[in-house]
Amino acid sequence: MADSVPKEIPLNSVQVEALVVMKIVKACSATFPTTATGSIVGMDVNGTLQITNCFPFPTADVAASDSHPNDHMAASNLAAAAPRSKANVTYQNEMIKCLREVNVDANNVGWYTSANMGNFINTSLIENQFYYQKEVNERTVALVHDVSRSSQGALSLRAFRLSPSFMAAFKESKFTTENMQKTKLTYKDVLVELPIIVHNSHLLTSFLHQLPAELPKKELEFPASLQELTADQPPIPLYPNLESLDLSIDPYLEKTCDQLLDSIETHYTELNNFQYFQRQLAREQTKVTAWKTKRTAENATRVAQKLAPLPEDEWERLFKLPTEPSRLEGMLNARQVEQYSRQVDGFTASITSKMFAVKSNLLPDSS
Amino acid sequence: MAVGTDSFLHLARPLAPSALGVQPTTAPLNVIIQPQAVFSILDHAVRRDIRDTQSTRVIGALLGVRSEDGMEVEVRNCFAIPHTENEDQVEVDVEYQKNMLALQLKANPREVLLGWYTTSLELNSFSALIQNFFASPETGTFPHPAVHLTVSTEAGKEIEARAYISAPVGVNAERAAESCLFIPVPYEIRYGEAEKSGLELISGAKDSENRAAPVVSDIEGLERAVDQTLDLLERVSEYVNSVLDEDREPSNALGQFLMNALSLAPKVDPQDIERDFNNHIQDVLVVSYLANTIRTQIDLSQRLATATLTMGGSDALAATGGEGGGDKGQRGGQRGGKRGGGGRGGGQQREPREPREPNE
Repeated sequence: MADSVPKEIPLNSVQVEALVVMKIVKACSATFPTTATGSIVGMDVNGTLQITNCFPFPTADVAASDSHPNDHMAASNLAAAAPRSKANVTYQNEMIKCLREVNVDANNVGWYTSANMGNFINTSLIENQFYYQKEVNERTVALVHDVSRSSQGALSLRAFRLSPSFMAAFKESKFTTENMQKTKLTYKDVLVELPIIVHNSHLLTSFLHQLPAELPKKELEFPASLQELTADQPPIPLYPNLESLDLSIDPYLEKTCDQLLDSIETHYTELNNFQYFQRQLAREQTKVTAWKTKRTAENATRVAQKLAPLPEDEWERLFKLPTEPSRLEGMLNARQVEQYSRQVDGFTASITSKMFAVKSNLLPDSS
Repeated sequence: MAVGTDSFLHLARPLAPSALGVQPTTAPLNVIIQPQAVFSILDHAVRRDIRDTQSTRVIGALLGVRSEDGMEVEVRNCFAIPHTENEDQVEVDVEYQKNMLALQLKANPREVLLGWYTTSLELNSFSALIQNFFASPETGTFPHPAVHLTVSTEAGKEIEARAYISAPVGVNAERAAESCLFIPVPYEIRYGEAEKSGLELISGAKDSENRAAPVVSDIEGLERAVDQTLDLLERVSEYVNSVLDEDREPSNALGQFLMNALSLAPKVDPQDIERDFNNHIQDVLVVSYLANTIRTQIDLSQRLATATLTMGGSDALAATGGEGGGDKGQRGGQRGGKRGGGGRGGGQQREPREPREPNE
């Protein structure tokens, strides 16, 4: 698997089978807004990771908690941690063993998760991906399917990997300022996004041509009456999706704003933590300095009295300097904020064009 | 939302010799197939093993949900089952089926076994044998009928699908296991709102040579949708024009329909439109502006937090050379005044005017 593959070619793109897209969409929307996770299998060919199948992880008793709407957060957390849990590793291996018998690529290449308006960058994602990239197979990706965004327009499916420098840092869990200065690790280096290509098999292409696709080119019979026309509407093609012409953007913007506010909140918490640490540090250091001066003075008197001087480095035992809080949370938060603002940019771009279109349509002479 | 089929006549089917107490259902049945199940079947057909088995078809189990009255089944999922088949015998890996079913049900507790599929349209005595296996009380769907879905996967031909349920036929007892009557039932392929965007993307790839399509951003999708709409409008206006020029035959129904559609256009005062438009666009732009400002702030704070800054002056007055002074930067630059330190809380300018800790 990973070892037999020459390491020189880094993964540069992800090719997803249509089957996988559909399965992920289904699994994620079925459990929405609870997070859904699952495993993906496939293989990599010359730097392109081909994902050919996937299966969901069992969610532990989520069905039982459905009656309590507030529980979905707990369930989400549970599901988000699923890829790392021991039971699921067994499940995954079992499943892959079974899939191998029916000629499916029996090679785990990562996992997928669902997201809601881009809120996927969190410790859970990082830990899962770290787990996969560290042990199972180095060449693994995390596929993120954004359920809410997909309902608004184009399908949102993205592939992420952790960058090597972040992997190294995460392994030692060294997220101190000093270390980050040394490695020049910034929040932009946490995740590497890979472009996704959707691929269809020949059979599927053949099948898709049978689904309502293009409008008939030939002349159609005239309908006899209006009723007939409304009752028997011509099939709407799947592509391109005319629903992206919908004007209502406000719910999405609102949701994103909420999430941005949450992020700012997190940022402040982090900030306060850090300031608390620095005040603590300053206080300790004042104490240490005071102690040192005292000790020097004492030693001076002791020398004057011809006594052996007391050791000067005892302060290390007496005072415990506070440990620096990890920068990780802040970094992820920054990355998340970046993600949100990109998302807002995307919304703005499409909504402004749509709105100008509507305006010039309604007021043809104003512009 | 649905790809329907022809009309069907529901026949009352003969009853199976029923087990004690349990009555098999005889209600008509409607089969709904979700696209991912079809995709999965096609994928399986592509991956069939052609080396050591003479059979050209593959089989697998269908999973999904059944409505409460049993009138409607929805196929949501399926998995492949290895089997070998030759002239006089068929072997289905029952053990595998059992294991896989257990695994699948663990992940999707709400789904049940519905029946099985195969990838050829042909029905033969092996089909009956397998069908009876899937319909039996111990290993199958009894008292509900087992659904048998056949999908033709011959290269170069249309992909056809048929759905059946079965009933026993009156042959002698020894042959009962390998004979049954397949009754066709109506089916439709139905996709929900959530799958639509996925299908859009997938069908985007169907006309390209390498059968692949990149995931597009919202704005590209919009562009295509607009193009498409323009084409359609063009077509309609072309038709209307040619009717006006008496080149083409007019149609009352179409005219009525267009009239109805056009009357949907709202009648609003231009000033109102102008005002609403400006308000809304301002809202949107403000959100965008704020989001980007926040991003910049946080970016800045992250940079300051980790910037390697050389020590400038010792205390309050920072070196003014931009990156000149400062320690850990306190992630300070953002959110003016949040530092709370009297007036020194360095607003948003780049020079972090923070008090330093001497030995950091």
